[in-house]
Amino acid sequence: MNPLTNLSVIRKLVQVGTFLLFVYGGSMGGYYLADKFSIALPALSCAYDSQSADLCVLIPFQHQMHHRLGMAIAGGGNLLMGLMPTLITLGLFVLLFAILNKAFCGWVCPLGTFQEFMHLLGQKLGLQRHESLDQSMVKRYRPVKWLILVFLVFVVPLLAGIGLLGDDFGDSYCRICPSRILTSLATGDSTQLFVDTANNTTLVLSLIGVFLFGLMTTLALTVRQPFCRICPLLALHAVFRKLGLLRLVKNATPRCDRCGLCTKACPMDIKAIHTEMEKKDLTTEDCTLCGRCVEFCPDKDVLQLKYAMLPVFSADPQYFKKRKKAQKDWEASNLTTLSKKRDASTDVKPG
Amino acid sequence: MLIRLPVASLVLLLSMGGVIATASAAEEAVKESPQPPAQHRHGRGPKMLEMGIPDGSTVTVWQPDLVIRKVDAQHGHVVIPKSGMDNYHAVVAEKDSGKVKQAVIRYEYQRGKPSGHSTTELTAVQKTDFEIVPDPVPREHRDYQSGETWSFILRFQGDPVANIPVSLKTVHGNIVSGTSDKSGQVALHIPDDFPNVQEGERDERSAAFDVTAEYETAGITYRTRLNSEYRVNPAHWKSLMLGMLVAGFGMVAGGFIGRAGLTKKKVRS
Repeated sequence: MNPLTNLSVIRKLVQVGTFLLFVYGGSMGGYYLADKFSIALPALSCAYDSQSADLCVLIPFQHQMHHRLGMAIAGGGNLLMGLMPTLITLGLFVLLFAILNKAFCGWVCPLGTFQEFMHLLGQKLGLQRHESLDQSMVKRYRPVKWLILVFLVFVVPLLAGIGLLGDDFGDSYCRICPSRILTSLATGDSTQLFVDTANNTTLVLSLIGVFLFGLMTTLALTVRQPFCRICPLLALHAVFRKLGLLRLVKNATPRCDRCGLCTKACPMDIKAIHTEMEKKDLTTEDCTLCGRCVEFCPDKDVLQLKYAMLPVFSADPQYFKKRKKAQKDWEASNLTTLSKKRDASTDVKPG
Repeated sequence: MLIRLPVASLVLLLSMGGVIATASAAEEAVKESPQPPAQHRHGRGPKMLEMGIPDGSTVTVWQPDLVIRKVDAQHGHVVIPKSGMDNYHAVVAEKDSGKVKQAVIRYEYQRGKPSGHSTTELTAVQKTDFEIVPDPVPREHRDYQSGETWSFILRFQGDPVANIPVSLKTVHGNIVSGTSDKSGQVALHIPDDFPNVQEGERDERSAAFDVTAEYETAGITYRTRLNSEYRVNPAHWKSLMLGMLVAGFGMVAGGFIGRAGLTKKKVRS
């Protein structure tokens, strides 16, 4: 299969490009806040990375809860004025988000890209990988991203702004976000890989942050997208997914009942892609619009990625056959198979 | 099976309980810690600066949009009026004594509505004949910190000047010297010289430093000084070694969970 017709390869190229852009792009004149692209990016591009080209939307949200709305409530100020910066940021976020919808996760996010490449590394090292997680487990962790979004991004910083919690809670999500550590390390800056002993709050939050970073790094070798599954941005995207122009669409057929390859291909283990027979729009709360389900659907036009209602990539039996073979070939070459081949060749005695 | 919940989620939820339980302790710590001056606490009003401005100087404030406002200095102090703009402002004091021309510059962040202008616009423009320009100015929400190395550029009438001795002197009496290179750039290490810093405890003190240089041409001596504030380096209470250790534990845990298996369905590569 020509790699340039392979959607996964195209996506990886885009991911590498956006990783370079958002992690290092600021080094070309984007050092200051006014130089940033939007300051409301729907992906985890971090402010602590001094070379970043843009900032993740969760940063201004926390600041605005802490310094504007929280303080307006505490000081008896004008609540509308306190809320105004948040509304402006939200408006900017929605404008950007509408362009790519949840594909900001599957195609743009630096942390998502890192986890995907770690998983590829795990595959090439010949590690035993998890094809998919139990659906009961998927159901259990699914609310976590909502809890993180509601509490760590909005409620806790707001309580800090009101004065009910210490100022160290003002950016509570950033303090545990693995992207802060990853993107700063990627630029050669180790100052974010710390345990902060200033007080109990900073100690606990920093312990969670660095532990989570380490956990995610090695877990990604064997489990697909471990942090994405609990990422608060995935939850925020889910709220506005009906406004996005890019959608995953299903035209179910009776054959869908007996297949299920789409769910097996899904890095987020979304069962609904397989089981849903009524709804057409399948851009579910956990979907990252990576398009793998469409690639591995063997029936013509059953699954489609549509942009503004126009199909941009559709399931196709011919593509499926080539893609399946390409995947098999790709997975067949790794350190384990290589060493087995070498052993086999040295076992053959001349003569 | 419950034990096999995604560990990341469990750790997070359990730790949140711990975090909330320590909230009052954190508040106490915040109360006990030294507070920055009221004008720095998200203030959007006028700001008073001690810059050691020579008597008889002409003082101007350059806004992010490069609008210049004249202000008065008294006893070395200057008050920057409220501009309503968010971003760095430059305070420029100049004194012309005929054969000697002195300048003092300070870049100071003021809060307000987004200015829409990059700090690079403010640093690029010539504000006085001979000036020391931070390269870069610490970006928003950052500070000069003790123990860090920062770059500065020496410019005369907008052009870089080479081979000029430059010195950085902190309020604690330490002096660091350097010489500008062919592009006018010099890197200086800010001494880690705050007294009585307790390892492991947050220290929010700040102090002033001056970067000074002198340049002579056409019988006139130009003396310039960049005045700024620096803070205690957080490395005193943020441990990289502990961070690496805990991240290592996380990696081991991730490897163990991945190996132990979250499901029976696995792919053998």
